[in-house]
Amino acid sequence: MCDPRHTGGRVCLWFPDSGESMQHQITHGPSFSMLRVDLNPGETLVAEAGSMVARSESLQMAVKLNAGGSSGFLSKVGSLLIAIVRKFIGGESLIVNHFSGPSAGSIWIAPAMSGSILHRRLQGEKLVLSSGAYVASVGNVDVNMKFGGLSSILAKEGAFMLEVGGQGDLWFNSYGGIETVDLNGGTYIVDNGHLVGYEGNLQMTMTTAGKGLMSFAASGEGVVCKFSGSGRIYIQSRNVESLIGYVTRLLV
Amino acid sequence: MNINVLYRPGMAMAKVELQHGEAIRAEAGAMIGMSTSLNMQTGMTGGLGGGLKRMFGGESFFQNTYTAHNGPGEVLLAHSLPGDIEVMEIPQSGLFIQSTSYIASHPAVNVATEVGGFKNWFGGEGLFVLRATASGPGQSVVFGAFGGIQMLPCDGSLLIDNGHLVAWDTTLTHSLVKSGSGFISSFLSGEGLAFRFQGRGRIWIQTRNPKEFGQSIASRLPPV
Amino acid sequence: MQFEIRQKPDFALARIQFDAPGEQLLVEASAMVAHDGGLAMETQMQGGLLGAAKRKLLGGESVFQNTFTATAPGQSLWVAPGADGDMEQVILNGGYDVMLQSGAFIASVPSVSLDTQWAGAKGFFSGNGLFLLRASGHGPLFFGTYGGIHAVDVGPNGYICDTGHIIGFTSGLQYNVRKLGGLKNLFLSGEGLVAEFRGQGRLWISTRNATGLAAFLQPFRPRKSN
Repeated sequence: MCDPRHTGGRVCLWFPDSGESMQHQITHGPSFSMLRVDLNPGETLVAEAGSMVARSESLQMAVKLNAGGSSGFLSKVGSLLIAIVRKFIGGESLIVNHFSGPSAGSIWIAPAMSGSILHRRLQGEKLVLSSGAYVASVGNVDVNMKFGGLSSILAKEGAFMLEVGGQGDLWFNSYGGIETVDLNGGTYIVDNGHLVGYEGNLQMTMTTAGKGLMSFAASGEGVVCKFSGSGRIYIQSRNVESLIGYVTRLLV
Repeated sequence: MNINVLYRPGMAMAKVELQHGEAIRAEAGAMIGMSTSLNMQTGMTGGLGGGLKRMFGGESFFQNTYTAHNGPGEVLLAHSLPGDIEVMEIPQSGLFIQSTSYIASHPAVNVATEVGGFKNWFGGEGLFVLRATASGPGQSVVFGAFGGIQMLPCDGSLLIDNGHLVAWDTTLTHSLVKSGSGFISSFLSGEGLAFRFQGRGRIWIQTRNPKEFGQSIASRLPPV
Repeated sequence: MQFEIRQKPDFALARIQFDAPGEQLLVEASAMVAHDGGLAMETQMQGGLLGAAKRKLLGGESVFQNTFTATAPGQSLWVAPGADGDMEQVILNGGYDVMLQSGAFIASVPSVSLDTQWAGAKGFFSGNGLFLLRASGHGPLFFGTYGGIHAVDVGPNGYICDTGHIIGFTSGLQYNVRKLGGLKNLFLSGEGLVAEFRGQGRLWISTRNATGLAAFLQPFRPRKSN
């Protein structure tokens, strides 16, 4: 519940948590997934900027900073600084759109890179997503940027991960198809650009692929994520860096 | 003529099977492979005027006509971005098609640049609108998309983002609007212009935005 | 070794599982998606320095490839090509060789040998810096492309294919590169060169042309500042 005296600058949106998911449809999967959400009056969909395909005229669009879940002026400034740094290093856009209206309406959303969209009904659990994977959310979903540490700077896309939690509906995407790797002891290594996200009791460290600097440059693998523990890892079958490498080779 | 679309939806290709004497007209550069029994001719459909008008319209200057002169044969056609292909019988009222989506059509179909009313639609992106008109029933057009193709029925009004349009019925009226409320909002929001369609008709959209894809990938390629 | 190609044809990736320790797979640099932490990965130049350089300069493959060696049964590895598109595999049995467009190679076992084949004189892939790799020997070979992979079994009537869409073909086929139609057609048709295949064998063509993708991206590239 929201008490306006304690929320600071954040607008409080309260949704009765019936445990049921939002009315939505994911079509054209697994390759060109598009999300359709049907909103009731007063419901708000938050979506990554630039991802709208079509919408009913009854819905209005407002632009917001992706400021994360914490409220208050200082944390907003902190989020803004992080968002600006991210813009230089790469990753998710600074801006999100809020769609809502006084009457019901539908909205169609598609991410920039082709692939799958997955839906999760969050009920308090936490999910870590790579910064390009967030598509949209409805409800009290917290999206907090997590800085991966200095070693992650090498991995442009991986420098910032998103920690997602709360109550509500979350949609995230992959570039390419999504595969899951369930780890139960042992270790698994995922190329950083192919990581969509993970959850469970997993520890993740970022390292370079081979032993020593020579093999790092030579092996063609950049930064990799090494997982141990138990949980689920989501991997995507394509990698933006590899596509850029592929096209660059065509140009010479 | 039999057209089958294979490898849907991402790497779709139209396999056109022609009986002896049949032909199909296609965009330059769309041919992947073909039987040795087919004959290809390059022509300026509609004479010099037609060719120039098509060049102005963003469609390639020349179209190729593939004819099965020596018995039946096949020709494989596709566009250059990952995505689906749709084969649509042209209704009596005709179809509007975004210029880069057009791949091929029955030789009796007239494809021309539609100049009036669409001037600012794509804001200098070099995209134009084509009008495809059939001279009889059963004549089809083949168009391709970036991403999947979704038909959205319009009955009232619908706002479609710039960049996701593939084709639509000529029975719809249209206007250009800003997507968000207020100029700053549109600029920052990442949503640029949207098209408001009104009336009753079908709209085919593509689930990916070529401009957004182009900007996000090509911005990281070596400069030119 | 067991393998499965999933997510065909749009975003194909292969999941390979080793059955016994010591099994190996040679993988093109940057095709690795994920792998069991227990696999040993070594970066090496196959065929020595000269062989690797020949492959890079003529074959278009990067000099460095990775060899993965299993240390225990059941370890798995995922590989995928760089662009959106399909993957295919053939298991060579010594009865025929596969001629592969150099950019299409993804992985193979060490008992498949890769050699460059000069194709420039015949006008194949002209202007793209791509050449042919000749794969011979025994065992699985994985290749991929931008586009879907369409196999054509070429018979006595032959087949004509746009050279920008050729992925590979079996050694029983001969090809002849020419322009389609008359001189006017060469310059105006928008179709580049075509290869006419004759003989008996299988031809793999891609439903997309990588040059088309590069051409689409060209206007979006950053401009050099003076």
